[in-house]
Amino acid sequence: MKNIIKLLMLLVLFSSCEKEIDLDLDDRSGALVIDGNITDQPGPYYVQLTKSVPFTQTNQYPAVTGAVVTISDQTGRQDQLVYEGNGRYKTTTLTSVPGNVYTLKVVVDGKTYTSSSRLPLVVPLDSLTQDSIKFGSEVRYAVRPIYTDPATLGNSYRFIISVNGKSNKAYNLVTDNINNGKVNQRAFPIINDDDLEEVNKGDQITVEMHGLDLPVYTYYNALAEITGRGGVTPADPPSNVSGGALGRFSAHTVAKKSMVLK
Amino acid sequence: MIGATVKIQNSTLAVSSNEYGFYSLLLPQGKHTVVVSYTGYNAVTLNIDIKANLKKDWELSTGQNLNEVVIASVRKDQNLSSPAMGTETLNIKAIEKLPVLFGEKDVLKTIQLLPGIKSTGEGSSGFSVRGGAADQNLILLDEAPVYNASHLLGFFSTFNSDALKDASIIKGNSPAQYGGRLSSVMDVKMKDGNNQSYHVNGGIGVISSRLSVEGPIQKDRSSFIVSGRRTYADLFLKLSEDFKDSKLYFYDLNAKANYQINESNRIYVSGYFGRDVLGFGDTFGTDWGNTTATVRWNSIINSQLFSNTSLIYSDYNYNINLKSGETDFGVNSKIRDWNLKQDFSYFANAKHSIRMGMQSIHHLLKPSTFTGTVSATFERQQRRSWENAVYVSDDYKASEALIFNVGARLSVFTVLGGGTYTIFNQGVPTDMVALDKGALGKTYANIEPRFTANYRASEMSSIKAGYARNVQYLHLLGNSTGGNPTDQWIASSYTIKPEIADQFSIGYSKNLNDNNYEINVEGYYKSMRNQIDFKNGAEIFAAADVESELLFGKGRAYGLELIAKKKSGKLTGWISYTLSKTERQINGINNSEWYNARQDKTHDISVVTTYELSRKWTLSGLFVYSTGNAVTYPTGKYEIDGQTVFQYSNRNADRLPAYHRMDLSATYEPKSNKRFQGSWTFGIYNIYGRENPYSINFEDNPDVPNTTRAMQVSLFKWVPNVTYNFKF
Repeated sequence: MKNIIKLLMLLVLFSSCEKEIDLDLDDRSGALVIDGNITDQPGPYYVQLTKSVPFTQTNQYPAVTGAVVTISDQTGRQDQLVYEGNGRYKTTTLTSVPGNVYTLKVVVDGKTYTSSSRLPLVVPLDSLTQDSIKFGSEVRYAVRPIYTDPATLGNSYRFIISVNGKSNKAYNLVTDNINNGKVNQRAFPIINDDDLEEVNKGDQITVEMHGLDLPVYTYYNALAEITGRGGVTPADPPSNVSGGALGRFSAHTVAKKSMVLK
Repeated sequence: MIGATVKIQNSTLAVSSNEYGFYSLLLPQGKHTVVVSYTGYNAVTLNIDIKANLKKDWELSTGQNLNEVVIASVRKDQNLSSPAMGTETLNIKAIEKLPVLFGEKDVLKTIQLLPGIKSTGEGSSGFSVRGGAADQNLILLDEAPVYNASHLLGFFSTFNSDALKDASIIKGNSPAQYGGRLSSVMDVKMKDGNNQSYHVNGGIGVISSRLSVEGPIQKDRSSFIVSGRRTYADLFLKLSEDFKDSKLYFYDLNAKANYQINESNRIYVSGYFGRDVLGFGDTFGTDWGNTTATVRWNSIINSQLFSNTSLIYSDYNYNINLKSGETDFGVNSKIRDWNLKQDFSYFANAKHSIRMGMQSIHHLLKPSTFTGTVSATFERQQRRSWENAVYVSDDYKASEALIFNVGARLSVFTVLGGGTYTIFNQGVPTDMVALDKGALGKTYANIEPRFTANYRASEMSSIKAGYARNVQYLHLLGNSTGGNPTDQWIASSYTIKPEIADQFSIGYSKNLNDNNYEINVEGYYKSMRNQIDFKNGAEIFAAADVESELLFGKGRAYGLELIAKKKSGKLTGWISYTLSKTERQINGINNSEWYNARQDKTHDISVVTTYELSRKWTLSGLFVYSTGNAVTYPTGKYEIDGQTVFQYSNRNADRLPAYHRMDLSATYEPKSNKRFQGSWTFGIYNIYGRENPYSINFEDNPDVPNTTRAMQVSLFKWVPNVTYNFKF
């Protein structure tokens, strides 16, 4: 909302200009990055280990090989992941159960990193409805996922919206600190990341709903704040991984629905 | 009239009128010649013969042919003779000709050209004083606090110059009658209105138009002034097919009246109402604004005792409405004060003049609350609190050369009942306190000593030193750099402790060439406790209790300020330079280590000049340079979920490129013998088109896949303006 105001101010009132610049940036790259996921869907599940690179390099992240990666749950089941390539490690036996707490342990270069995440109970995604917001003469489409938040507090969600199979980058996050136990009312703008290419009638819209563990929600919320142009002083998002690695380990539920824009 | 000089000819006896225009002078019986003077006005001389107490009111008229002075010193050598430290007074008449963005003369922007006062962003009316945050400035309009002094996201201030008499700013070493903010007091006074004849003045500019009417209600006894301003960018929007449903404007209304009951009593009533409105059809709408009202009673109890009683109301609120399909969603928030002040000035004798008084404020803070079909799971509670203070201070002339101002303020802040308070430690709830309505909760009491000393080392120079403690009980929560109208005020509570600052300063002033040139140097060290910041990834709107999202720490700021002024002649102006450092240490941020505050700018230079080319033409120019803001740049990047994420290291360890620009303006005042006078002002902001960074954003490069880039956003290259002003 704040961004809408700012954008409008910049566009309408002032002669603002934007240009690419060169900056002499400090380089602290080479940090371990953990991108681990477990879902309520059938496995295998993946943990990706990479290293961060300097800002000026291309987005090619060196794979971390030779790590010992295990995931266990509170019942004592344990699975040692096998290396698949490109820094990806894959489970072999693990089956997920909503409500269980999963613990990730990564041992690499003599250092140990641990994290745990609770797989939330499943909240079904019932349907999608279409909405539109008028900005002057321009119509922006929006989609509203219909689901009923459970009465118990502490649920949070992330929605990934795709247009014709291409997902956009916006972090659409919801916490039940607002409208706990109610049918969702919030609609999300449908944006095509490919340089504001217009979204049109007949486009296929897919919404992927993730039910998140609270620390993971906090992680994404921090990421959303520093990604937006609100001017928040950026910092690494609070990670649920101990030991000083970047990234996060997320146990989340997944539900998907599609619709065609009318 | 504030700070007019009343002097006895051929003697050293002289006093300045106080902020209510009152003065008292003890004289031996006999014949004296009294000279009353005020910058920009003709001096008045009167011979008196004193046999008993004598009460004399003066009326000064504006001089026709006086040189314009840029900063009006109340007395030619005021900087040497007063113990006040870190204080600057701006005469609104004197700043009229300075170039400004869009031609909207703005006292909050002009003060940013003074040493120790820094802009928070391009074109912004927000400012930082000696390393303080924008909310650590007490901004008063006729004694009423203004909680959000900006329009249109800070590009304009709420102060319409046409309605203002003068403004002064005290950078931390304020006398004991002021309190409640750490860094500064910005005291803005509205015009009283002419009690002799009716006048209209106004202006037409590119952004807004203004109109003021003033005149007597009863000649000699009472007067009024009404002043209004409205922007009209939205009228242009209406012409565009795309934006014809859009709303985008703000307006201000200032009004003041005064009535003289009898020789010793006078009542003033003043008010301000301003609002910003922004919206698209019925899809989205937001509006915000301040309302203030002051009723003031000045009473001369006897020739030595003067009383001022004020009842003050202040309100700031905002509303946001979003409508899409069947969803109707709103957020609103409010802060409201009722404030009673009683102040006495007692002119005890030639050596002592005493100020004492009390202040009692009832605060109501309504945090952002959702309305419509969306509701918060946790209803955020309204908070009430009670802030009280008593103070006493003494202007003590120890000798002709040595003057002290010694004072103390006792401030007491009490949380009032009507809700449940959760106590947090580093965001983790540890306890709860339920308070019934009307019950008194957590109370903080602080003694705030204030001290300044002025030693007149020679006829033309003086040395000053000062110490002040300031305590702040209300805090503005905002995590963005620019400041948003939706930033919320929050009161001290069980979790949030009052902010406390101790400031030490020393100064040296020297005047040259019959006080025509003035040089002031001041150094300061300030330490701040209980500073507040959001934790990383804070939930500002959705958190059940926003206090769970806060972290606390301390701050320190130190610096050296220098200003050299030329006060008369065809060429007037000043050069100011500030060398400073400002740091914060917040537990939970930057590994709890010290880091540069965002407003830390090592060097800050302003050059301001006005040149009277001829009777008709006046040229004015300014140049500013400052070190870029302290910011945090990425130190690497990685990928999560297939999306690029930037890696960050030390907070605010990087710098935006340096900021500089030059503005010019020219004012044309054709000679007119008629009552009607018009003038034109032409100006250009940022004349050499410097692209100063407003923000730098890091993002995936859409043109070259698999790479990232840094994009700089700049505002305001060569913004011209033209304004027509008139009065009759």
